[in-house]
Amino acid sequence: MRISHSPQRLLTGGIGFALLLMAACGTSGNQGSTSKTLVVDKSFDMKTADPGREFEISGSIVVKGLYDTLLTFKGSDVTKAVPSLASSYDGSSDATTYTFHLRHDVKFSDGTPLTSADVVFSFNRMKNIKGNPSFLLAGVTTTAPDPYTVVLTADAPNTAIPFIVPNPALGVVNSKVVKANGGTDAVGADKSDTAEPFLDKTSAGSGPYILQSFSTTSQVVMVTNPKYWGTPPAYSKVVVRNVVAATQSLDVQKNVAQIALDLSPDQASSLGSNLQVQQSASPNVFFMFANANPSVSRVTSNKNFQDAVRYGLDYAGLVQLAGKGAIQAAGIIPSLFLGALPQSDALTRDLTKAKAALAASGFTNPTVTLEYPSDITVNGLQFQPGAERIQANLKDVGINVTLAPAPVASSLANYRAGKEVLGYWLWGPDFPDPSDYLVFLPGRLVGLRAGWAAGSDPAVEALGKQAETTVADSARAALYQQIQKELDLHGPIIPLFQPGQVIAASNSVHNLTSNPTWTIDVASFN
Amino acid sequence: MLLGVGITFVAFVLTHLVPGDPAAANLGQRAIADPAAVAAFRAHYGLDKPLPQQYLIYVTNLAHGDFGESQQSHRPVRDDLAEYVPATLELASTAIVISLVLGIGLGVTAAMNRDRIVDQVLRVTTLAGVSMPTFWLALVALYIVFFKLGWAPSGGRLDPGQLPDAHVTGFYTIDALLAGDWATLTSAIAHIILPACVLALYTVSLLTRFTRASVLEVLGNDYIRAARAKGLPERIVIGRHILRAALVPVITVAGVAFGSLLTGTVLVETIFAWPGIGQYAYRSATNLDLPATMGVSLFVAVVYITVNFVVDLLYGIIDPRIRVG
Repeated sequence: MRISHSPQRLLTGGIGFALLLMAACGTSGNQGSTSKTLVVDKSFDMKTADPGREFEISGSIVVKGLYDTLLTFKGSDVTKAVPSLASSYDGSSDATTYTFHLRHDVKFSDGTPLTSADVVFSFNRMKNIKGNPSFLLAGVTTTAPDPYTVVLTADAPNTAIPFIVPNPALGVVNSKVVKANGGTDAVGADKSDTAEPFLDKTSAGSGPYILQSFSTTSQVVMVTNPKYWGTPPAYSKVVVRNVVAATQSLDVQKNVAQIALDLSPDQASSLGSNLQVQQSASPNVFFMFANANPSVSRVTSNKNFQDAVRYGLDYAGLVQLAGKGAIQAAGIIPSLFLGALPQSDALTRDLTKAKAALAASGFTNPTVTLEYPSDITVNGLQFQPGAERIQANLKDVGINVTLAPAPVASSLANYRAGKEVLGYWLWGPDFPDPSDYLVFLPGRLVGLRAGWAAGSDPAVEALGKQAETTVADSARAALYQQIQKELDLHGPIIPLFQPGQVIAASNSVHNLTSNPTWTIDVASFN
Repeated sequence: MLLGVGITFVAFVLTHLVPGDPAAANLGQRAIADPAAVAAFRAHYGLDKPLPQQYLIYVTNLAHGDFGESQQSHRPVRDDLAEYVPATLELASTAIVISLVLGIGLGVTAAMNRDRIVDQVLRVTTLAGVSMPTFWLALVALYIVFFKLGWAPSGGRLDPGQLPDAHVTGFYTIDALLAGDWATLTSAIAHIILPACVLALYTVSLLTRFTRASVLEVLGNDYIRAARAKGLPERIVIGRHILRAALVPVITVAGVAFGSLLTGTVLVETIFAWPGIGQYAYRSATNLDLPATMGVSLFVAVVYITVNFVVDLLYGIIDPRIRVG
């Protein structure tokens, strides 16, 4: 009797223990936020809160809240930079000199007035650290003729400067505080600047928020800056949390988080109607290339083979695969930017033309390898389904594609060395100006990765040089469109699509907008 | 000493055999094209030196407690480990406590009720428990317990925006207790229970099955019959005579399971936004963050060595026949 009774007690005890645990769980199960706290769920790529070093998506969201820039963008419109720390600016007619006139009423969070010396320090420090964002000011010198004037002088015409300075990496730091904590803007700052640990604990900016806590893996907490010179933000506390997309979807529906930033179009379609969901074309452009270097591939460097690929791809199918909000990339410049091609200029599939081009190439049923990263997700999309679709599309033409996925850390090396025969990659904008996309021309960064050496297409290269030195927006737009049409028709790089960018938010968040440079501006919500 | 050098050597060689360039993996699409930025990166992390020299520098620094600097967090790996190891340790310890209590209890229950309905149910449920993929279980648990029932928070170690108490042990529950901060303690307990239960389910099932088998083996011994014949109360027969003998193999399994819990939490940590060593390891490995990957490798080696050592000690405590001398 006792033998059977005792185990039953044990079993009952076990169940009771489990119930006790579950009861403990119930104590704070629904952590709905207060009206003054904004919780943002984001899958972190966070490395630092130091504006001179950050160039990641998560980092930009945080740094945008902590530091002000000379200019900014209003909402999602990146075609025009508007005043921020600089109340106005003038550009020289040759696009080599930009003069910024600073506001006189800006103070840092410790009450110190912000002057041009802080801007010079911040810009020189960012440049001399030689980190990820340093290229933004390559060939640009920053000077301060007086306490409230800053002059940026470029070695060569640089029409992108007004679109570069809003980048959070060019956030202005309190030079006195940063210097006191190991910061330097001198040449050699890559070795001598030791302010990063300090800036990961304490912000030294003039932005709407100050840093309360920072972690690269769990959460970043910002609270309002009482000395902020602008309109105080609606949320007194902002928490940006590291959460994977699957959990973000549940969090935002339960109002544990008010904003979710990494949902895929599929996940977005399953959200309840009590949320606002923005699905628009992201500025990221997925593209593929057929290596134009004969020493890498005799097949893919053949112009007719490239045409066979160009006309063999089912662009509409790829867009459909990418999900709601995605659009075809008519050219390499995303639809949001100056100089983007209209959808009417986009390439379309023409199997007859593709097969004829393959026949003209002299290759019968060639086999080529397509390389792409296997372990990254951008806008909720992985590369594998797109690669499989490309493989199927080209099979219809008579091209056998062998898929070669690899972790991004490995595949990047091959891609950047220009050794991939066929490549499937994406380009995210560094700054929202069409000049960022000149890297796709022969002899330039991405052009070389596709084996497109300088001198391969003199006409396009000449157009690129002309675009770089043209100042008027209308003329620039026309030139960039002309360049893209040439690339679409003759280049080895083929733009495919811009995926949809999903932002899901609670209805309590008003003025929900996104921006290609910093994704979201947490101070702009009300 | 020799073991330590061997571990560092193997970890260093294997970590550096991975194809790929840490500079390419860590620098942005523009910075990688800037020779000055690449040179600065390589110089900063010592990647511009020959591999044997890099190893010597690493071992020398390690002897002084310097694990190098993470290319992802830009912090000393030692600081990262000090932050993330306690998070995983707290989670895994909770999971192993749950596992031991439930696993041994249910295992004994099943054995004492051999072939009865309780035993049948436990055998089926534990079979399901060892068969279910942890990541799937984590997602389902999150959906049901957090989303549908609202009984548990979704993720993280504390509520959004809530800050931990001063770092003493790195265990948020213990630090909150030491600080007398009941709000944080409640939050920390609420946040750890669900991921710990998910993590524990496999181990509970495993221990239940092992305990059942082990107890059944012991039950057939003459000394158990003799103990009962002497009229000893059943709790004493179970506690002193059956469990002591039956627990030796169970402790071995529990030790290995604890090591696995400590080093295999990446999926649970990811789904529950738990900032532990699993997430750190994954992020480091996928970004070719060599110093961090080395640090994690050494941590894993130390865990298994320590766990095996502790298990060896426990053998002697539980079963006096095994004591040396």
